[in-house]
Amino acid sequence: MFQFDRRLVLNFDWALLIIVLIIAGTGLANLYSATYLGSVPGTPVYIKQFYYYVLACFLALAIISVDYRQLLSFNYPLYCFSILLLIIVLFFGTGAEIQRWINLGFFRLQPSEPAKLVMVITLASYYYRKDTNKGFSLKELIPPAFLTGIPFLLIVKQPDLGTALMFGFIFISMTLFVKLRWSTLGVLLGFCGSMIPLGWKFFLKPYQRQRILTLFNPENDPLGSGYHIIQSKIAVGSGLKFGKGYLKGTQGHLDFLPERHTDFAFSVWAEEWGFAGSLFLLACYFFFLFLGLNIALSARDKFGALLAFGIVSLIFWQTFINLAMVLGLLPVVGMPLPMFSYGGSSLITTLAGVAILFNIRMRRYMAPTSSPHLWSD
Amino acid sequence: MVQRIFRIRKIGEDDVKILKKRIDIALAIIISLIALLIARLWFLQIHQGAEYSKLSESNRIRERFIAAPRGNVLDRKNKLLITNRPQFNVAWIQEDTPNPDQVIKNVAQILKVDISDLYERIRKGSDRPRYMSIRLKEDIDWKSLVYIENHHLDLPGIRIEVLPARDYLYGNLASHLIGYLAEINKEELSDHKWENYQIGDRIGKMGVEKLFEKELRGEKGQRFVEVDVLGFEQKHIKTQKPLPGNDIYLTLDIDMQLTAEEAMADKAGSVVAMDVKTGKVLVLVSSPPLRIKEFVGGIPAAIWKEMLNNPLHPLINKSIQGQYPPGSTYKIVTALAALSEQVITPETIFYCTGSLRFGNRRYGCWKRAGHGAANLHKALAESCDVYFYHVSQRLGVDTLARYANNLGLGLKTSINLEHEKGGLVPTSSWKLRRFKEPWQEGETLSIAIGQGFDLATPLQICQMTAAITNGGVLYRPQYIETIKSPEGVPLKSFTPIVDRKMPVSKGALARIKKALVSAVNDKHGTGGKAKLKTITVGGKTGTAQVVRLSQHKDLKEDEIPYKYRDHAWFTCFAPAEDPEIAVTVLVEHGGHGGSAAAPVAKKVLTRYFNIQEEDTESIDY
Repeated sequence: MFQFDRRLVLNFDWALLIIVLIIAGTGLANLYSATYLGSVPGTPVYIKQFYYYVLACFLALAIISVDYRQLLSFNYPLYCFSILLLIIVLFFGTGAEIQRWINLGFFRLQPSEPAKLVMVITLASYYYRKDTNKGFSLKELIPPAFLTGIPFLLIVKQPDLGTALMFGFIFISMTLFVKLRWSTLGVLLGFCGSMIPLGWKFFLKPYQRQRILTLFNPENDPLGSGYHIIQSKIAVGSGLKFGKGYLKGTQGHLDFLPERHTDFAFSVWAEEWGFAGSLFLLACYFFFLFLGLNIALSARDKFGALLAFGIVSLIFWQTFINLAMVLGLLPVVGMPLPMFSYGGSSLITTLAGVAILFNIRMRRYMAPTSSPHLWSD
Repeated sequence: MVQRIFRIRKIGEDDVKILKKRIDIALAIIISLIALLIARLWFLQIHQGAEYSKLSESNRIRERFIAAPRGNVLDRKNKLLITNRPQFNVAWIQEDTPNPDQVIKNVAQILKVDISDLYERIRKGSDRPRYMSIRLKEDIDWKSLVYIENHHLDLPGIRIEVLPARDYLYGNLASHLIGYLAEINKEELSDHKWENYQIGDRIGKMGVEKLFEKELRGEKGQRFVEVDVLGFEQKHIKTQKPLPGNDIYLTLDIDMQLTAEEAMADKAGSVVAMDVKTGKVLVLVSSPPLRIKEFVGGIPAAIWKEMLNNPLHPLINKSIQGQYPPGSTYKIVTALAALSEQVITPETIFYCTGSLRFGNRRYGCWKRAGHGAANLHKALAESCDVYFYHVSQRLGVDTLARYANNLGLGLKTSINLEHEKGGLVPTSSWKLRRFKEPWQEGETLSIAIGQGFDLATPLQICQMTAAITNGGVLYRPQYIETIKSPEGVPLKSFTPIVDRKMPVSKGALARIKKALVSAVNDKHGTGGKAKLKTITVGGKTGTAQVVRLSQHKDLKEDEIPYKYRDHAWFTCFAPAEDPEIAVTVLVEHGGHGGSAAAPVAKKVLTRYFNIQEEDTESIDY
């Protein structure tokens, strides 16, 4: 079904590939440092992460080989499947109190991760189909808001507020990206403004409120919920200009953070590589996002542009929230650093998104007639 | 699918312009937020970097749990039965050890254990985080403790952890009731029931320790300490004290329990004593006892196997799980049924010639010479089998069963202990169901004297005895007097539970009681060995045949192989005028109830009434 076209290779985004490889490489090296002292039987974490990369590469190749426009033909079944997984995890999930994973035997799938990407695809499809150049009215925003609300509530129920909020970020980012009427925007802003105090009061659980309050003054509660923030700040701060050196971070190897290979991976990096290393990594993420936006801009159709933008915003918000959390700017929520933190579901989802970016880029000059399939029409 | 792709519009010139504008805005947002992150990084790493460096040098806070002392177990007189003592364990924190192999080797030498044992434990604990400790050896001796403390600089990562451990002040006393502790296993950890527990915690796995785990456990404390680069504690920051568990006061009487266990020391069997007016259990012995301590660290397979195959069955709580033919103690049921159903009067006389021919079989009396003319009083006191054979023909098996059930036989007593057995009271329909055969009249004869299908636990017989003396009330056996908080505030208190009230005449009960008093006190009574000088005791002996083997018929008791010897029963109450206590003794393969079981009951009674009695040699039959 896929016939090789030279233009696919010519339009391949080599720069993006190099950036992804750099982030992946530093991420693996950092994982090794965060966990190498754990010389315990069983596959080491960085090796497992490497396997996930290999798995993700095959998935990426599969995604690249199919025209991204095909997504339009099965975006709703995909959405339903993703919701189904989220329902299954609520009933059969593993984990004592928090049900986030489905145990597949060889792999513990966290369905909320792929659900994020599916959300981007769903919203891109919807907005692409309904686009009228006149701007969206409030009424037209109800279906996408509804589509976002279902996974949001299912994930809040797990409970995983951090991941659930990502759906809000995706929805807001993509909705603002398509054309809105000014009146719509005004009503939405007013609504959100009024929701914040209500949400604080009724929606957040006490421990979540505590985390937010702690953020503003972690020293008030150094051993309770402020513990992670303080320890992470000590790790990052003690990195100084050039860091303590690879594998030499003391803070990271003591027991200050149970999540040092997942959500707090960056603090290990910042401790060992200092300000210089942190800037380097931030620069990599910036170039990655920049190239991603470029792909959105140069897409051949609006669907591609929406999709690329959605994926970029998904990765950006996760990156920003994770780093802000590690640096003590945001409360502690479960949010991995894309391509850097350990975690199979997150990694594979992110790389699937990146593969879609490549896909859009490769097919930017592809006229409807350029695909041999489409001749027949 | 193909068509839909075809219809996709290529992006227009105007659209591109709008798109460009939006993407520029997005880029601006990304740049400003990344700039914010960079500013924050600069603030942390450059501006305040020196301060954080200092903190990272010294400030390493670790959170350590402090195990809560488990609640104490006391008896009804507030005598301490089980408390806690400090136990010193060697633990290892991998993260703090740069050269694990050398250190583990040294530890093995100091503790004089096989190094492979240590590696085995490390392997088992390898899935926990590296900053958590792995226990290498429990309960080390004082010498090793001092040595390790003095050489701690050469043993980085090795810690002495002090845990409260159970201190059994009376050894294995009441072991089947108390139960034992063992480390929580992985399956239990993954069960949400145990969600506040951690690897290495000990939980009750049987008896009181298990059933009252929630009460006994208490709440862990936490200690926050600063450690240096090698993990040594520098200073305490904050301590959250553990809350000890609640204390459990048993209805048991430790002195009586001790007396009973001593009396049973060379025997297998059970002793149960109960307050007849409340159902409070005063003594609950199953002999031989469990060796509780051996269970704590996980029981070695060899010892476990030995326990399983031991002919004395130490693993079985014989008081509630041992089911034995009740033997002649069952005659109490037959007598009560006969009087209540008015198939006989107290004056009815049957003649005992030493046996009774029924159908084409001869049913013997234990006294081969025969009892002669016997009324109910004499038949109970001297335990005449033939008398009850006659009575049973007038009652029938199903009527008999109804009275047995009313006295609690054939039904679990619902004492709050695991795996209680209910015994067996056969009926004609039961036999039809179970064997697809109709009931044989001859079988009723065996049932009437507690042989045949009849089975009962010692606790049931004790409960029955209590019911006979308290006017027919079946109190549920209970063993918890109170549960008190560590500060001594009562949380739960004992209230008697009445499970059943028998519709029987006081007269019938009084007659049976009187006959049982004669059984102990009269010249020809079978229970003479339980006779006390100052207190009137009433009781019934029982000898339960294990097998009916003709080749053993003429052998003396100690010539028969152990496992074929009869079980000895004795159940009694005292003082006869206003009974307070019922005591039931079963000696497995002990021979005759009067000679093997009654003396044990006597010792328990002596202790209860706190009187001095010498072992009186009374008539031996």
